[in-house]
Amino acid sequence: MAEQRCCPECGSASLVEDSHYGQHQLVCASCGCVLAEGFLTTTHTDEERLREVSYSKSTGQKEQLSQFLNRGIRRVRDLCRVLRLPTVFEETAVSYFQRAVQHPCFHQVSLEKKELLAGCCVFVTCRQHNWPLLVGTICSLLYAKQDLFAGVLQSLQKELGISVPALSLADMVKTHLNSFQLFQPKDNIPVQFVEDKEQLVARTLELVELASETWLVTGRRPVPIVTAAAFLAWQSLQPSSRLSCTLKHFCKLADIELPPPAYLRLKEFLEILLRMASQLPWLRVLKLDKKTVVKHIEDLLQHRVFLLKNAFCMEGEEEQSAAGPGEGSLGEDSAGKGSPGQDSAGSPPQAVKPEKSCPSGGKGWPEGSRRPLLPPCLLYPRKRLRSVAPSVAEAAVTGLEPICDKELEQYLRSPEEIRALQ
Amino acid sequence: MDADSDVALDILITNVVCVFRTRCHLNLRKIALEGANVIYKRDVGKVLMKLRKPRITATIWSSGKVICTGATSEEEAKFGARRLARSLQKLGFQVIFTDFKVVNVLAVCNMPFEIRLPEFTKKNRPHASYEPELHPAVCYRIKPLRATLQIFSTGSITVTGPNVKAVASAVEQIYPFVFESRK
Repeated sequence: MAEQRCCPECGSASLVEDSHYGQHQLVCASCGCVLAEGFLTTTHTDEERLREVSYSKSTGQKEQLSQFLNRGIRRVRDLCRVLRLPTVFEETAVSYFQRAVQHPCFHQVSLEKKELLAGCCVFVTCRQHNWPLLVGTICSLLYAKQDLFAGVLQSLQKELGISVPALSLADMVKTHLNSFQLFQPKDNIPVQFVEDKEQLVARTLELVELASETWLVTGRRPVPIVTAAAFLAWQSLQPSSRLSCTLKHFCKLADIELPPPAYLRLKEFLEILLRMASQLPWLRVLKLDKKTVVKHIEDLLQHRVFLLKNAFCMEGEEEQSAAGPGEGSLGEDSAGKGSPGQDSAGSPPQAVKPEKSCPSGGKGWPEGSRRPLLPPCLLYPRKRLRSVAPSVAEAAVTGLEPICDKELEQYLRSPEEIRALQ
Repeated sequence: MDADSDVALDILITNVVCVFRTRCHLNLRKIALEGANVIYKRDVGKVLMKLRKPRITATIWSSGKVICTGATSEEEAKFGARRLARSLQKLGFQVIFTDFKVVNVLAVCNMPFEIRLPEFTKKNRPHASYEPELHPAVCYRIKPLRATLQIFSTGSITVTGPNVKAVASAVEQIYPFVFESRK
């Protein structure tokens, strides 16, 4: 058939059969004119029964997964380079990422989550090697929200079965203070504001330890606490020239962001220090306030253990202070045993609870008395603690009571109301 | 105070979530027009209906699936769900109250002592996870009960589980662990 036909364009008899893109064609070899084309499918009925193939089942899905993997690995390596992490960390983070990508829960998710997955792998690696990397740092590098980061981190921990060790506060203090710009003289920093790094780190660490002993650290974000502690430590190292500097100005000089809770943490720090100062004999004669107590931080930290014991009620002594604040603090020997006049000494929960949940008393602990050592949210609660007991009628509900029509009328509109709406 | 001595802990159930099916298609526009205390969310395709007694909010989909939240006990959840189904019947739908199931219970419990969260997390890995930068509480999961507990430093514990029994068991199980890390 092919030899008998001639090309209608040039009249040449040299025709070839070609299969271009799987389609059978008869083409003139001289001028390229297409004489005849075949069907893409073998039969006409096949074309009628064409079915769509979903993208997830096609080979395109595998290609996209490998694109996700390659892009993600590049992202992980870039993050490690920006953070100047050792090579070992990079390899570990990449291996975590490769393992995570195999799990279907990370496949069809938003781009933001995929980016966060790379960040989470780096974060977990750093924590496992005790490298103090903060959640805020990773989120700011990836321009992501912390809520989303928390969700992806939880999924990663669950799918890979890896544990993330807790952040070491001491390492975090050193890393955070590394970013301060107060250790070298500069044009915008007066000479008296420049401080030695080692001394500042040591004093800040002591203040942070004091905070962790007095319930200021548990459950709180660490950066505001470290910022407030660093400010107090810096002021106390040269109080004569630095007392007039505010926290905001300090953060500006140090070229760091001022976290809003830092003001509250500073206030809590100063309250603790003032209470401790009231127990130090040579400070009792001085009328100290929030400014002047900073000058004596060195002495307070030196005698920290003694002062904490005397300034605050520890465990076991709370029962006696709950029984009668007028009795004053009894000796430590009777702590936990209870005095004869104390009521219901056998039920410590009831004895402790009124002490914990007294909102009005929280603001008025007189200076001479010993305040219980509790988290600030218990001392100054913002809202009333819930204590609603179910009533007897509510407790008798079984769920199978008969329903009367009158009760349901309140949930249905009357015909007049419906007509008015329409 | 000893962990073995009897201490009465009040577990307060704050929310019970339940679902049921009506086995018929529901016209959301009709419910919005003829029902009182109703909010029609046309963009999402659901209707919110609030009951006064018991205090329950129901989310109604046109497929006939209904989710009720706000009850303070499993019985109250069933009480409210039946009332809701009856209201839908009154609106003219052929409702059959089926597949009722309590899917989530949220409860709060207060321990009579404060808890040192870093110490608790160290002793209870991998069930406990604590990220103070993200959330002030320790998240503790009990897989066999499918329960999650949020443990705060003040001693307050929030428990979520599939039913009230699981929640009570979770509190019983966690008590000795938090007692070890008390202040």
